[in-house]
Amino acid sequence: MVVFAILAAMMVLGAIGVVTLRRPVRAALALVFTLVTLAIAFLQLHAPFLAATQVIVYAGAIMVLFLFVIMLLNVDGDPIREGDRLRWLGPFAWLIALVGLGGLVVTVLADVRPLPGPDAIAAVFAEGGAGGIGDVLYGRYLLAFQLVGVLLLTGIVAAVGLVQRKPTVAPDEQLRSGMPRRTPGAPPPADLPGGRARGESA
Amino acid sequence: MGGPVPTEAWIVLSAALFVIGAVGVLRRRSAILIFLSVELMLNAGNLALVAFARQWADAGVITAMSGQTVVFIVLAVAAAEVAVGLGILVAIFRQRQSTDVDALSEVRL
Repeated sequence: MVVFAILAAMMVLGAIGVVTLRRPVRAALALVFTLVTLAIAFLQLHAPFLAATQVIVYAGAIMVLFLFVIMLLNVDGDPIREGDRLRWLGPFAWLIALVGLGGLVVTVLADVRPLPGPDAIAAVFAEGGAGGIGDVLYGRYLLAFQLVGVLLLTGIVAAVGLVQRKPTVAPDEQLRSGMPRRTPGAPPPADLPGGRARGESA
Repeated sequence: MGGPVPTEAWIVLSAALFVIGAVGVLRRRSAILIFLSVELMLNAGNLALVAFARQWADAGVITAMSGQTVVFIVLAVAAAEVAVGLGILVAIFRQRQSTDVDALSEVRL
């Protein structure tokens, strides 16, 4: 219970950081913190395999992608602007959240059920998770597993298709648009390794 | 203070995380930060699933493990979603140099 209290406090603090921190990089790092504490929570809940997957896939791959995009686009967080039409939404959102959370907590605590005995839990989750998940994933959820595979492939193709620049112009034009912008009067920069290489390949 | 933490406590924690994520979705103006909040909500759902998986230990290995298996699938779906979503974000940013969702008001009906 002590571990749970510490975990819960850290998780909620991290989550509030995700929602309130102004700089996107800090918000993303707060989310990484929350995800790692979530992995520890999975360990507490007899799901060591999911804990490992959480750290590797979520805190590792997905959040690195997020940080990469944030730094690539160099976005500044939420600018506070005058005349923001949705200004009223902020306090309203917190109000709705508090009401919703209260309702959920009351609902959950109104129907408290005892946990199964520690022996039953230990027997079910004895293999450390990976074996049991594998049995169910490749048995009962085989179709879902294959659909996820299709989904991931579609996602890869879609991401590439979305971000790709269309080669609609002639290679010569493409070479020029690939160069860094410069003022018309200025002399061309002497060294253009990137542009030249791109032109040759085209 | 020994003994396992009851499932209800985990569900309350999961609800708190979900609600905080929902507030983020409503309050944030930058699409990337909205996206981060959505990830937080997904993970709150995962936490509830794992907690319920332990609650169902009496019903046999397959039923109990189904909860954890669904979390695994959610993880894969989230990865695909992030790839496509960030691709869309980069494409939008190229056109208008901003990820402010307020600036995208012509997308609405």
